Order: sequence, then C-alpha cells, then structure tokens
Amino acid sequence: MIIKDVVCPFCGCLCDDLDVEIDGQTIIKVQNGCTLAESTFTSSNRLPAPVRRTVSGWEVISYDEAIGDAVDILLSADRPLLYGWSSTHGETQSFGVHIAELIGGVIDNTSTVCHGPSILAIQEVGHPGCTLGQVKNRADVVIYWGCNPTEAHPRHMSRYTTFATGFFVPEAQRNRTVIVVDTRRTGSAEIADEFIRIKRGEDYQVLSALRAIVRGKGKIIPSEVAGVSREQLIRIAEICKNAKFGAIFFGLGLTMSAGKYKNVRNAIELTDELNRHTKFTISPLRGHGNVYGSNEVFTWITGYPYAVDFARGIAFYNPGETTAVDILRRGECDAALIVASDPGAHFPHSAAAHLAKIPTILIDPHQTATTPLCRLQIPCTMAGIDAEGTAYRMDGVPIRYKKIVESSYPDDADLLRRIHDRILEVKGT
Amino acid sequence: MKATLNTGRTIHQGMAVEHKASPGYRVAVSVCYMNPIDLMDLGIEQGDRVSLTSRAGRIVLTTRAAEEVNRGEVFVPLGPYANHLISAETHATGMPDFKGEPVDVIPTDDQVKDIDSVMEEIGGVRHDH
Repeated sequence: MIIKDVVCPFCGCLCDDLDVEIDGQTIIKVQNGCTLAESTFTSSNRLPAPVRRTVSGWEVISYDEAIGDAVDILLSADRPLLYGWSSTHGETQSFGVHIAELIGGVIDNTSTVCHGPSILAIQEVGHPGCTLGQVKNRADVVIYWGCNPTEAHPRHMSRYTTFATGFFVPEAQRNRTVIVVDTRRTGSAEIADEFIRIKRGEDYQVLSALRAIVRGKGKIIPSEVAGVSREQLIRIAEICKNAKFGAIFFGLGLTMSAGKYKNVRNAIELTDELNRHTKFTISPLRGHGNVYGSNEVFTWITGYPYAVDFARGIAFYNPGETTAVDILRRGECDAALIVASDPGAHFPHSAAAHLAKIPTILIDPHQTATTPLCRLQIPCTMAGIDAEGTAYRMDGVPIRYKKIVESSYPDDADLLRRIHDRILEVKGT
Repeated sequence: MKATLNTGRTIHQGMAVEHKASPGYRVAVSVCYMNPIDLMDLGIEQGDRVSLTSRAGRIVLTTRAAEEVNRGEVFVPLGPYANHLISAETHATGMPDFKGEPVDVIPTDDQVKDIDSVMEEIGGVRHDH
C-alpha cells in the first residue's frame, strides 16, 4: 500500500509530499523524499524494551517498573534537568513542561545548541521573517549564510528557492539569484550564482560592511573585509537593493561561531537596512523536525522558548545560566530526563559526562550515544512514523505528523502523561 | 600541526543519525576532513589516522582529503567524536564553541575507537542488546 502526502520528521523543512510504501507494518520504500528522509523512515537499532543499568550491566524491565523508577528519580531530585524534545510532537513537549513545573526543574530543548543564539537576537531586535511559501512565490534573491542546505536540508533549494518555480518566479534558475556565504566552498556554494568566502569567525565584520554600503557609506570600507573584496561586497549590496523580494536563510555558521547571537543580530539589522530599499526577510534554517515546535510549546506555557527554570516556583529564563550545557558543565543537576534527543552525541563530552554521574532517564526509540550514559532507557514510538502529533515547520507553520504504521511501542506522550500523573498523585497538589 | 576545528552536518552523518549503533554511523562521524596540502605537510595520505587534541580531550580519527576545507582548519562531522574535543564553555550564551576550537593534529597509528568506548571514557556503560 502507498500512503500519500506523508510528512518527513527529520529536519525543519517537514516536507509533506512524501509517498511511503508499506507492506503490512513494514516500510518498504520512500518516494519524493531526500536521502535523509529515506534513512529516517528505515531507521534501525530501536530498543526492544525498557532497560535499567545495574552494577553488573543492563537488565530488561517492564514499562510499569520503568515508569515507577522514573517517578522515583524525578521526585528524589533537588535540581532535575529535563532536556531534548525536538524529535517528537507537541503533545509530548507539553507534558514535559508540566512535569518540569511540578517538580521545580529546569527544562531546555535542543535549540540551546542550535538556534538558541538566533532566538536571543530575535528577542533583541525582532524577526522580519515570512513563510516558505512567500519565499517560493516571490523571492528573486536568496542568500544562504553560514549554512549548507544541500547536506542539512537537501530539499530546501528544490522546494522553495534555487530550483523551485514560484507564482512570481516562473523560471527559478533564471529568475532567482542565489548567493552563498561561507568559510568553506560547500556543495551549496557550488550551485550558487555568487559565493562569498569569508574568514572563519568574521561574519560580524562582513555583515557590518554590507550594512554600511547599503546605508550609502561604501567609501569607508577598506579594500578587503574578512577576506572579501570591497568590490564583491558592493556588488552583493547592489544585488540585494535591486531585488524585488529578498530572503536570507542562515545556519549554525552564525550561531556557533565567535560572536554567536551578535552575528545574528547584525544579520537581522542588515535585513532591516535592506527594507529601506525593497522587501527583505531573514529566517533561521532549523535543524530538528520539531525544534521550532519545542520553542512554540515552551513559550505558550511558560512565556520563554527554551532554558526555563522552575526552581523558584515561577518560570525563570537566563540563557548562559539556565541552559543545559551550562548546568551540566557546572555539575549542578542531580537527575536528568532526556527525551527525543541525543546529548551523548551532540553535547561537549565534558558536559555530557555529568549525565553518567547522576540518575539519567532516557525516553527515546533508539539505542543512541546517550544510552551508555543513562540509568534507565524507555523506548517509545517515533513521531511521524508510528505516532501522530503536531509539529512546527521552520517557518512556524504547524503540520500534523501522520502515523503510517502501527507498533507495539507506547507513544512518548503517554509515557510522560503517566509520569506526570503519578508525580501529581504523590505530591498531592 | 595547529588547526582550527570546525564541526557540522554532512549528508553521510545525517543519513546514519537514526542508525547510531550501526558501523555506518561510526564511519560517518569519525572522519577528519583536511585540505590535501595539510595532509601532505603532515606526511600522510587520505585514509591515514590522526590524533586531535584540544583543551577538552583527545580523539583518533580517519583523514579524508577535502579541497573545500581551508588550510589550517579541520572539519569533523557533528557527533560523539567531534564533541570529545569541544569545550563546554559557553561564554554565558548557552552555546559552546562548536566552530573554532583550537586543536593539535598529529599523525598516529592508534586505532579509531568505537562509540561505546568513547562513551565509556566519560563514565558510560556499553549496552549490547
């Protein structure tokens, strides 16, 4: 059987036009998707049953026992950390926030090591963004800054920019000018109309130079800025000013390099400057399928998008202090609940090492690099494959994940609901 | 050789990320992409191994020649090997320096560890089901 219009849960593009062929409850083939989609739908190494670490190794336990252990660990903790949330649906994220509030914990999501700095910049100067549909139908100039969509978001260019035909852009490859700014000549740079190669960690200077040129102060620019010639900078500024509709997409090249959120703030302010001449927008290329959803869910419940600390009985937000890496680096948390993410693989190991010292609970479908660090792993469904739910695309559009096969695993939202209800019962509030 | 470490997504890492216990994931993330001239300066060829040491740790990786990587830089796909080298300092932003960690790169005959061994080094216990 072929199921049409399936949503891929891998990256923030949330492509919703996949055809997935299934035989019984087995996925046979994925059509329309990129290679990342295909490998996501055919994922392996799912943990068959809950496991608990003992002094002599690992033992298989029942779901009831696992939930009982998880509740005990969370109730005994003085400073629990609840982290992850981006590879699952909004319903699970919502239960996570409610548990954090009940136990006075800190809850953070993967944007903390992704586009957290972009959020900090947006909180300072705003977000002149738009939906991907607007970009597809209107943008005649597209800039990819510090990102490599051909490898990280393989269909972004074909669905929305370089190769996508839009209402006001009938011949995409002829009508759109695509500019890539990066320190490496990536695959994306190879197919761009213009490639700006900048020195590592000097994005801020290049953004400032472009702002000055757009403001009419080009004469003060030196002959070279961060490895980029003045001539190229002036040419780029002219292309942008003459655009009918421009769109900047940026990646972790800005958020992870020196300057971090200040780089993003400067990019937003360049966009602001360009809006004195034409229409220009800027948006982050979000990584995890539903990382934007975790920001949405956290915000509508607590008022803050990530790094929320309930220790004071109210929601407190101070990235740099209440962010997961900082809490782990300081060895501050005495228990952790990790859901739908893999800090063992994606956190600096000097921070992730603390997870092995404390009782860490992992709720994840797969055996991952966090598995060896945890005391207890509870396997669950995969959102978008054997569980349905709500996710948010990178431009903030909510999209419903479909359940395309049945499995014997419990939904992670059900597991968290049970943990939440048991904690509520014990605390009696 | 002194170098600056850059980390990030590759298509091979992305394809293997939902198959983390597979050999494919280990191969995809235990690679050190280097400029061919830097490889030549070190007197090694693509496929030889290098040891990378940072202020946070040391790890052995397999080299791969990559013209797109600048001289004096190395690129390691995001994952448990790259993160063995990244410091947890965030400069009060919450975000570590995933792009820009200084490293020493030297040729080595040491073997590339499997992921469970890397996790054991930081206190983990391997799980074989």
